[in-house]
Amino acid sequence: MRLGMFFREALRSIRANAAISVAATVTALIAVFILGAFIPSFMYVRSAVSAQTSKVDVDVYISDTASVKQVNALRDKIGTLKTDGQVAEFTYVSKDDALRLMRERLRDPSVLDQLPSNPLPAKFNIQPTDPANANAIVAAVKDDAALDPTEGIVYPQTTADRLLTAAKFVQWAGFALIGILLVAAVLLIGNTIRLSIFARRREVEVMRLVGATNWFIRWPFMIEGVICGLVGAVVAVAMLWGIKVGVVDAWASGADTALTKSGSTAGAIAFPLLTVVLVGAGALLGAVGSGITLRRFLRI
Amino acid sequence: MARIDDDIHHADSTQRAFTLVEVRPEPVPADLAVVTPPSSEKRRRGDVFRPGPGPMVQFQGVIKRYDGDVRGLDGVSVSIAAGEFVFLVGQSGSGKSTFIRLCIRELRATSGHVIIGGRDLGELRRSKVPYLRRAIGCVFQDFRLLPDRTASENVAYALQVTGHSRQEVNRRVPEILALVGLDGKGDRLPRELSGGEQQRVSIARALVNQPRLLIADEPTGNLDPDTSQGIMDLLTRINRTGTTVLVATHDRDTVDRMQQRVIALHKGRIVRDAEGGYNEDPGDTGEIA
Ligand SMILES: Nc1ncnc2c1ncn2[C@@H]1O[C@H](COP(=O)(O)OP(=O)(O)OP(=O)(O)O)[C@@H](O)[C@H]1O
Ligand SMILES: [Mg+2]
Repeated sequence: MRLGMFFREALRSIRANAAISVAATVTALIAVFILGAFIPSFMYVRSAVSAQTSKVDVDVYISDTASVKQVNALRDKIGTLKTDGQVAEFTYVSKDDALRLMRERLRDPSVLDQLPSNPLPAKFNIQPTDPANANAIVAAVKDDAALDPTEGIVYPQTTADRLLTAAKFVQWAGFALIGILLVAAVLLIGNTIRLSIFARRREVEVMRLVGATNWFIRWPFMIEGVICGLVGAVVAVAMLWGIKVGVVDAWASGADTALTKSGSTAGAIAFPLLTVVLVGAGALLGAVGSGITLRRFLRI
Repeated sequence: MARIDDDIHHADSTQRAFTLVEVRPEPVPADLAVVTPPSSEKRRRGDVFRPGPGPMVQFQGVIKRYDGDVRGLDGVSVSIAAGEFVFLVGQSGSGKSTFIRLCIRELRATSGHVIIGGRDLGELRRSKVPYLRRAIGCVFQDFRLLPDRTASENVAYALQVTGHSRQEVNRRVPEILALVGLDGKGDRLPRELSGGEQQRVSIARALVNQPRLLIADEPTGNLDPDTSQGIMDLLTRINRTGTTVLVATHDRDTVDRMQQRVIALHKGRIVRDAEGGYNEDPGDTGEIA
């Protein structure tokens, strides 16, 4: 078939311009390697950040003098926020619960026995669906009659904000980096394909002369780009595999499990999936790189 | 992949359209008769380039201006009938190559009409130019062979371009190489062949798609007189099968010996168009040399 012929033409071109082909392959290799190292790291950081942000919760303290009716009104108000989708979960912690929790936390709970009465207020513990909702939740309940006048509302405002900013930054920085990386790789591969076209410009001229159509001339270059991209990607994946087995896995199993259990497995991408993504990316890099170049330099 | 199908589709049709046609009464020489028409001659729609019954090559008031008002051709009108053998002569810079490059649409006329096989090349869509080129065999002074391919592969490439099957390629390439006198040299790279042999390869490549028009720009420019003679004989034999042959040349001896139609150019204009030698009219001596 013709595809076979184009494939043979591509291999002929690769052999004839070995140095150029190696350059394109190494470019793809580097791009895919960085991408392959970056994607899991990026996903790990993102999952770690979101694990932290989910811990941001709002405590609404209730005045000891508040009536049951007032507390129920506050409960309903928070319930509405939940149906609105701003609140994921909320629990009522009574004065007794609060004391019990305190007791559990203290090394010497007997100090609490000396208290004449329970000084701890009751509270609603609210978990927002998204840390960004915390401010809205606070605004909704801050003037409620049932609120404890001294304790009021407590939530880690700055932590939440900082985490939010961090999460956004990680996300956009990640996308920007991946974008820049891919564009650079496409341009570099495109440039090597351009060298290949340039090296064979006399041949291309002859091909045109005997009546080869645009695509008859282009296909081999296109396939050449894809082959370089694929080979580069496969080598990069092999290198990443080696690093994963030799370094990351070894480190993870040797390190304190408390650290690794919390994040690394939760956020990591499965290696087979990563392989598919990276090899696909390599082929795409080659195809797009040569495609763009052919559009610009093989107008016939 | 649609484009590839398109290729194959047109390829078959051009093949069909350019099967050798007997124009002259002379019998086909035995060694040329061996170029059998392609086995698969299915009629397909959309024949891209099929010469009509009129002249093969027609120039109507053609002006070709290069950048900076350089006149390659300056108002050329001429007609070449199917089956003719025509020499295009003139001193260096007179516009011979310009004429030839206009015929294969390597150049476009600044004004006037270049009509090949009844088709006005000024109106030919860019995407159809490859089909025009398949219908015309081209031979150049510098051979223009693909340097990293053997003689056979060079000829085969022209067949692959037109979408022939591998069996067909394997059958026709040795045939055509034998025809141009390169029996047994198919596996040599161009650099392993003499100039004359390389030119034979390029003629084989030009012929292998059985064009109705063969154009040669100084095909003997790099060759010694004996070798040139061999090449010219080959072109003459090809012409006898009905192929229109147009040869641009400096080679006065050859033109004088062959006594064919001669179109003489000077500064982009036709100064003489007659049967005979390179420069029969003494009045032209000063201009054409
Ligand atoms: N690409 C170009 N750009 C500008 N001027 C050109 C170009 N090609 C040819 N010319 C000019 O056009 C004129 C005709 O050139 P052409 O190549 O057709 O001559 P020729 O008869 O083939 O000459 P030769 O026998 O030396 O090959 C010359 O004056 C030449 O300088
Ligand atoms: Mg010339």
